[in-house]
Amino acid sequence: MFAKLKKKIAEEAATAPRSGVRIPRTISKESITSMGADSGDDFASDGSSSRDDLPAQLLRRNDQIRKLEAKLSDYAEQLRIMQKTKEKLEIALEKHQDSSIKKLQEQNDSHQASRAKLAEGMALALEKKDQEWMEKMASVEKEKAALSGRIEEMMEQSLALFQKRDDLDELEGFQQQELAKVKHMLLRKEELLSQREQELQQKEAEVQSAKRSLSEARGRLQALERQHEDSQRLNSEFEIEREELLLLREEADKKISELEARCQDLQSVIQQVSEDFQKSQSMVSALEKSLHDLQSEHDALKLQQQKAAVTEEEKERSLADLQKKVTSLERRLQGNLSQDEHLQELLQEKSSLEQSLEESRAELLAVRTNHADTVSSLEAQVSRMSCSITELQTLLRHKDDSSRAYRERTDTQIADLERQVSESGERLKSAEQQLTEKQQQLEKLQGEWSAEKAFLDQQLCLLEQQSQEKAGRLEDSIGSLETEKRTLADRVADLEKQAVETNRSLQQRTEELEQCRAELSSRQTVSTEIAKALEESRRQKEELQMQMGEMTTSLQASYLDLSTTRETLTQREEDVRTLQDEVQTRQASLLQLQEEAERLRAQLEQTEQDKETQLRQLQEELLSQTQQLDGYQARISYLEVEVETLTEQLHSPEVCEEDQNGSVTVDDLDHIQKVNRELEQQLSDKNRTIKQLQQRLAELKRTLQKELKLKPEPEAEGKEKLQESRAEKAERVCPEPPAPLPPPPPASSPSPPTSNTTVTNTSDLNDSREINFEYLKHVVLKFMSCREAEAFQLIRAVSVLLNFTREEEDMLKQTLEYKMSWFGSKPSPKGIIRPSISGTPSHWS
Amino acid sequence: MGAFYSIFNGLFGTREMRILILGLDGAGKTTILYRLQVGEVVTTIPTIGFNVETVTYKKLKFQVWDLGGQTSIRPYWRCYYSNTDAIIYVVDSSDRDRMGISKSELVAMLEEEELKKAILVVFANKQDMEQAMTPTEVANALGLPALKDRKWQIFKTSALKGHGLDEGMEWLVDSLNNRQ
Repeated sequence: MFAKLKKKIAEEAATAPRSGVRIPRTISKESITSMGADSGDDFASDGSSSRDDLPAQLLRRNDQIRKLEAKLSDYAEQLRIMQKTKEKLEIALEKHQDSSIKKLQEQNDSHQASRAKLAEGMALALEKKDQEWMEKMASVEKEKAALSGRIEEMMEQSLALFQKRDDLDELEGFQQQELAKVKHMLLRKEELLSQREQELQQKEAEVQSAKRSLSEARGRLQALERQHEDSQRLNSEFEIEREELLLLREEADKKISELEARCQDLQSVIQQVSEDFQKSQSMVSALEKSLHDLQSEHDALKLQQQKAAVTEEEKERSLADLQKKVTSLERRLQGNLSQDEHLQELLQEKSSLEQSLEESRAELLAVRTNHADTVSSLEAQVSRMSCSITELQTLLRHKDDSSRAYRERTDTQIADLERQVSESGERLKSAEQQLTEKQQQLEKLQGEWSAEKAFLDQQLCLLEQQSQEKAGRLEDSIGSLETEKRTLADRVADLEKQAVETNRSLQQRTEELEQCRAELSSRQTVSTEIAKALEESRRQKEELQMQMGEMTTSLQASYLDLSTTRETLTQREEDVRTLQDEVQTRQASLLQLQEEAERLRAQLEQTEQDKETQLRQLQEELLSQTQQLDGYQARISYLEVEVETLTEQLHSPEVCEEDQNGSVTVDDLDHIQKVNRELEQQLSDKNRTIKQLQQRLAELKRTLQKELKLKPEPEAEGKEKLQESRAEKAERVCPEPPAPLPPPPPASSPSPPTSNTTVTNTSDLNDSREINFEYLKHVVLKFMSCREAEAFQLIRAVSVLLNFTREEEDMLKQTLEYKMSWFGSKPSPKGIIRPSISGTPSHWS
Repeated sequence: MGAFYSIFNGLFGTREMRILILGLDGAGKTTILYRLQVGEVVTTIPTIGFNVETVTYKKLKFQVWDLGGQTSIRPYWRCYYSNTDAIIYVVDSSDRDRMGISKSELVAMLEEEELKKAILVVFANKQDMEQAMTPTEVANALGLPALKDRKWQIFKTSALKGHGLDEGMEWLVDSLNNRQ
């Protein structure tokens, strides 16, 4: 693709040197520069000569310029020739394209032939497939039948399942009904039980009330007994009172008798008192007589006492004479001192006399005391006698008084007693009356009491009877109650039994229920399992249906496929038929073509020869061009040297040079230098194009060799192709005029370049350049603006578009890698200063 | 360099798949690219140069290059061939006249050494046109059945309607995943 551009450039390059007819814009410049260079050369060479020679030199240089212009015109013509050749080449190219198109058509034919084969194979395969399909269909139908059978089975199963389900439902209904019945019965039993219990409770309440009434009756009985006891106690009290009353009567009787006895005693006492009174009166007379005696004795004793008192006075006068004799004796003893013995005898006689005196005194005393005693006793006796007499007298008086009082008293007492007796008699009578009253009362009371008692007894009896009756009734009721109780107990027991039984039955029922539930649960599980199985079967059924649907859809699809395949088959068959027709026609044309091919082969050989000659010519041309180039280069170098010398000269004489020519030459020089540079660039471009052409030649050679190698292959088609291609090439090459022969090519470069088959470009060169420029602009813009990863991919494009060398490209890559990575040193910018000069630009292919 | 690049990308997440969209001018490459990227039909002008976009499809990142298909810039395609994982070759199914050119471009492209391992996806585009060729016809016209040592697949697409692109991308993703 890119090659065609190069080729164009190469053609341009190839034609340019040959042309000398037309003078394009660039070449005119070139000619001018070259002439300038020439002049510069001359100027440089003659730089050493004097200034006088300058006009001559200028003239010479003008001549040289003219020559160069002529040469340039030659070049222009050469260019025109080149363009012509280019046009011719383009015509050839078009022809070649046509031939290639033909070739392609042939290839297409061959391909169609192969397609026919393929179609046959396909037909066979299709038939096979058809058969397979039929078999598959048969199998599918079998499967379908089997599946439908299975579906029917499943339907039956599902029906059976439904029936089972219905049975199950019925069973569940029955069970529920039974359960309801059992529950109902249980409820009724429970109601009965509760009723019985209520009855029992009522009966118990009745029993309790009966018991209460019994206890009340008992309480009444006790109260009656108590009343009875009270009445008995009253009776006994009444009896005791009666006895007391009887005793009182007896006591009153006794008192009456006692009072009568006392009356008699009192009467006897009164008689005794009267007798005593008579005796005491006699005693008082006796006592008055004794008192007269005692008073006479007492007078006698008083006379004796007066006699004892006169003797005592006589004795006391004798004592007082004796005491006067003792005192006269003692005065004599005192007047006779010396007569002691006579004294002592006198004292003794005195003591004796005293003793006799005292004894006479004691005897006197004793007699006196005796006498006093007797007197006192007699006096006491007299006093006592007088006292007793007084006492007796008082007593008598008292006794008289008392007897009188007593009499009176006894009289009053008797009267009182008589009164008392009468009173007591009255009292007795009243008492007796009272008694009788009391007895009457008592009798009355007794009668009342007995009546009451009888009444009470009767009452008691009644009460007892009542109580007995009540008791009996109560007992009966108790008995009945007990019987009732018993019956109730029995009933309770029965009920309990019933309850137990019912409980048992309940338990049984519950067990049954549980069993039923278990059964139910099992049934449910079974049913759930069945349901699951049903669901599974349904699912299976659905799956089967789905499979069926899928199968049917696949069947339909396969049917459709089959129909389409059949259609396609028929189409194919038609195609095949048409293809066969075509093949036949093609074969006919092939024969023609073979003939043509043979012709073309001959032509090819000719063209090959021509080509070889052309190639040789081209090579020669190339050689000549290179030689020319060398010559030019030599000249250019020579001119450069000249120019340098001239510039040196110019620089040196610049000061003195003042005329117009000098300035013109400087301008010319610059101009020439520019032209020179352009020429140099052109040269380098041409060198590049030469190299590209050489590469193209090598490629062409290789392809030719390949094709030549492929040539002897046994396959007819390939051969034909090759032949065709060769024929095409020959055709294309043939019309190329050999007139604008290039200078002899270099020895290394082989046959001249031919255009590649891929070349499709027919657009104008300028247009393509514009597009290229635009493309370059876009790529560079993108290269600068896009991400580094993307830019990395664009290096190649940029370097191709800008003709970078490999080094430059590598440098670009390194810098980009440096930018992309975080580490590493920045690569040194080698060769960036002189990118176009430092080495020939290597081609990227 | 390629090794470095792959290592670099291996270190930092999944490598971006590099895909080229090629085909003659007016086949619908740019429309397909933007249909893949933004899912919309954009108005396009003839591509002088190329478009590059990053397209994420099923968690795979693609660096998709849509290269201009005009005759003058077709030669520059080969500048982009290196490190290419897959080629999407777009054919205008209704353009029966230039089918031969398309085929020759395809054949020339597939002969390149740099594309030896690239997976080929052919989009028989513009199927919405009445005179469109069927995919089999297109495949035969491009000589695809004769291809050897090449993983390829043809899809009938309509970039305008958005038909077939997903299938093609899905196949491409699968085959890229299988290749790795």
